[in-house]
Amino acid sequence: MNKIIKIRLKPLTWSPYLPPVELADATEEQLAAMKVTPSASKVSPYVLTLAHDPESYVARTKLFNAIMYAEGGLPREDRELGALAASLANGCRYCANVHARQHARLTNSTDVTSALFAGRTDTLSKRDSGILAFATALTATPPQANHSHIDALTEAGMDKLEIIDLIHAIAIFGWANRLMHPLGHSN
Amino acid sequence: MIDTSDTIGINAELAPNNLVRIGRMFRPEFIEGAKDCRYAVLTPNDPLDLLHDLRVAVARRITKTAANPDSQLKGYPIPTDESLKAFSAGEICTDPKLAVLAAHVDMIASEPSKASAQHLSDLQTVGFSVPQIIALSELCAYVCFQIRLVHGLSLLETHHE
Repeated sequence: MNKIIKIRLKPLTWSPYLPPVELADATEEQLAAMKVTPSASKVSPYVLTLAHDPESYVARTKLFNAIMYAEGGLPREDRELGALAASLANGCRYCANVHARQHARLTNSTDVTSALFAGRTDTLSKRDSGILAFATALTATPPQANHSHIDALTEAGMDKLEIIDLIHAIAIFGWANRLMHPLGHSN
Repeated sequence: MIDTSDTIGINAELAPNNLVRIGRMFRPEFIEGAKDCRYAVLTPNDPLDLLHDLRVAVARRITKTAANPDSQLKGYPIPTDESLKAFSAGEICTDPKLAVLAAHVDMIASEPSKASAQHLSDLQTVGFSVPQIIALSELCAYVCFQIRLVHGLSLLETHHE
């Protein structure tokens, strides 16, 4: 079997298609919303774009952070793999890039992400393979996930809490992908 | 007229109730967070001139893309306005503005990878403002999130180890 070439992904830059909120013109609610994010001190074009609807932005950001950074339960790298798989299925290049790099950082390895990008899912562990298959099936429209996917996850050692966490990670990326990809482009 | 308090009271959390119980048992913060998201996209304090009936119609149209939509559809009552009723049923719309919105919503629900700047431009051409487009984007994406959540948790609920 051919050796898988290890890939290293460079960060992408995202640019909005629509005019984002101008900080100078932002309402108090928009300014407050943009401070809720725990990320960098500078407000990204993505956040400035979503700030046009600050209520949705605040609610979703809180839920997103709860799902992706919850204590205990599914290991973070598995949440990132679920996010990556959903992003690939939804065609969100930017999200896939971010979460592939996150997975590589958390696992200190590009083996899984290289295998994914090379189409060599046959080399994945049972657990990773189960996560990928479930995420892809759940992300489809209509969702195609069935009990065999749950069987595969439990056989790979996942407990109920971990599966709940995985479902939420996949689902929230169905949301995130449908903002990031349609509202801007990455390069 | 849609009674929003009943709609929210029955369906603010994920349907059906046993899924809420599963979620509350393990991750109550996820349940509460999802409820807040539902309020934000369906009945925000500032609706940005997007009527509730239109929001519900969008949600209903997208929910029909679920594998088993019936329980979730109960959370989005059929609009009384004939145009919105047709829209929510997934029908072809004769109103130009609703027709463009329908095409966009269908694409986001089923083939989000096909989204492009042109789709947003089309929405602006028929009169949607930038804030409205963002609000509609969040709404569409929320419903798609809910579809996956309910589907996944339903599998878990009925899974026999």
